[in-house]
Amino acid sequence: MSSTLILVLAIVVIILLVVISIFNSLTNKKNQVTKAFGTIDVQLKNRYDLIPNLVATVQQYAAHERELLTKITDLRTKALAQNVTPEDRVKLDNQISSAISGLMVAVENYPDLKASQNFIDLQRALNEVESQIAAARRAYNASVTDYNNAIEMFPGNLMAGMMLLKTKSVFTASEAERENVNVKNLFQS
Amino acid sequence: MASETELKSLYETRLKEKLSALESSRKRILKRSILTVLMLAVLGAEIYLLVNINPHVALIVACMVISVAFPIYFIYHTVKQKKQYRENFKSGVVAEVVKLFNPDWQYLYDYCMSQESYQQSGLFPHHYDRYTGDDFVTGKIEKTDFQFSELHTQYKQVTYNSKGQRQEHWVTIFRGLFMHADFNKNFLGTTYVLPDTAERLLGSFGQSLQKMSSRGQLVKLENPEFEKRFVVYSSDQVESRYILTPSIMESIVNISNRFEGDVYFSFVGSRIYYANSINKALFEPNIFRSGVNFNDMKEMFDLFEMITVLVQELNLNTRIWTKK
Repeated sequence: MSSTLILVLAIVVIILLVVISIFNSLTNKKNQVTKAFGTIDVQLKNRYDLIPNLVATVQQYAAHERELLTKITDLRTKALAQNVTPEDRVKLDNQISSAISGLMVAVENYPDLKASQNFIDLQRALNEVESQIAAARRAYNASVTDYNNAIEMFPGNLMAGMMLLKTKSVFTASEAERENVNVKNLFQS
Repeated sequence: MASETELKSLYETRLKEKLSALESSRKRILKRSILTVLMLAVLGAEIYLLVNINPHVALIVACMVISVAFPIYFIYHTVKQKKQYRENFKSGVVAEVVKLFNPDWQYLYDYCMSQESYQQSGLFPHHYDRYTGDDFVTGKIEKTDFQFSELHTQYKQVTYNSKGQRQEHWVTIFRGLFMHADFNKNFLGTTYVLPDTAERLLGSFGQSLQKMSSRGQLVKLENPEFEKRFVVYSSDQVESRYILTPSIMESIVNISNRFEGDVYFSFVGSRIYYANSINKALFEPNIFRSGVNFNDMKEMFDLFEMITVLVQELNLNTRIWTKK
């Protein structure tokens, strides 16, 4: 075998190895994003599980808040339905978040409720789930950034085009969340 | 919380008096230490002369016995006095400063952080051959219990020089203050926040090296100031963010600004471990200058203040999550 042939072969092998490693790293990053999204889902489900308990506890003490409680229960039912698209899920989730924070403000009027051990435990569980959701979202954003960087930077961008990979968007605070909390509005809802 | 004004008044009313009382023994020890050095110098000169003038054997023996036995006796007594002086300083002065923070805290000057805690933290995984420390403080700040002590760990390094002679060196792994406290959230995995030396020196190449660490997955966080100073490894990407919220990251940056030396954090088994490397002996009396000195007390106070700063900055008493 001539030395030129060996050289060509060596170059081909090296190129092939580079291509394989880029392909694997992009696939890995894409799967990381899917996994991170799954983690948010798990935490959101944890929150849905808390809702019936929360509604039942609040109902005992605060009959006047029926409208708000029905709204939360409806939103939960919608979110748990089988055929919800991820976009709708995010929207519903934002609505649930604002409805729950509305409820938390409304309970200020019911000292007995606030003092009940059951409610205190629920509040702790809700705080816990909220911080887990926030953490899961930040982890998702980090893996999306990592993925977007990989498919937009050279040489990943060449491969990403062939693999039909597109950039994904990160979680941002919804319009409603970005506004300053208006306590008056919350009472009216 | 104790303030500098309270320390000042404690110093004026009680510490000054105690320190002044200790001054006489400090001076005595200093004099004896100087004498010891002189005696050893005389001994050296004597050996030199005896070897050179080659006198009678009996004279050599007599000279040696007198000039060796006396310094040994003298050194023995000086060391004993020094130990006593140190004990009086610790139990009389350092203990008072600790009490200023909280009279219920326990201060044991001859104890240190347990080896189990040190190992559990996972902060310094290097095998150690020497484990020393003192000034152990334990107690509670509201709901948060803590342990704190000075610590020094070393390993033995054996090298051979060009002549093939064996040489032993003691290499420091960690020296400074070590603390652990109850964290306000429950977690199962391990998360490490370490000084970011690789990225500081090597930039993005350093980051690629960090990805290969055996401590866990590299966690990239959003706070640029925090990212510049620290590198985070964790067994769980989500859990590390559950612990390191934006406000905790901010607090960690504040803590590293406030104290000199590198700071290390780890979150293991629902506890937070903290190490601050300081390369000198702490909470020790200095025999070479007067002990009646407010600045020494202030320095000591600032180091103990680390305990309360850590608990307050990290809001460890905020218990709004499932952990009570």
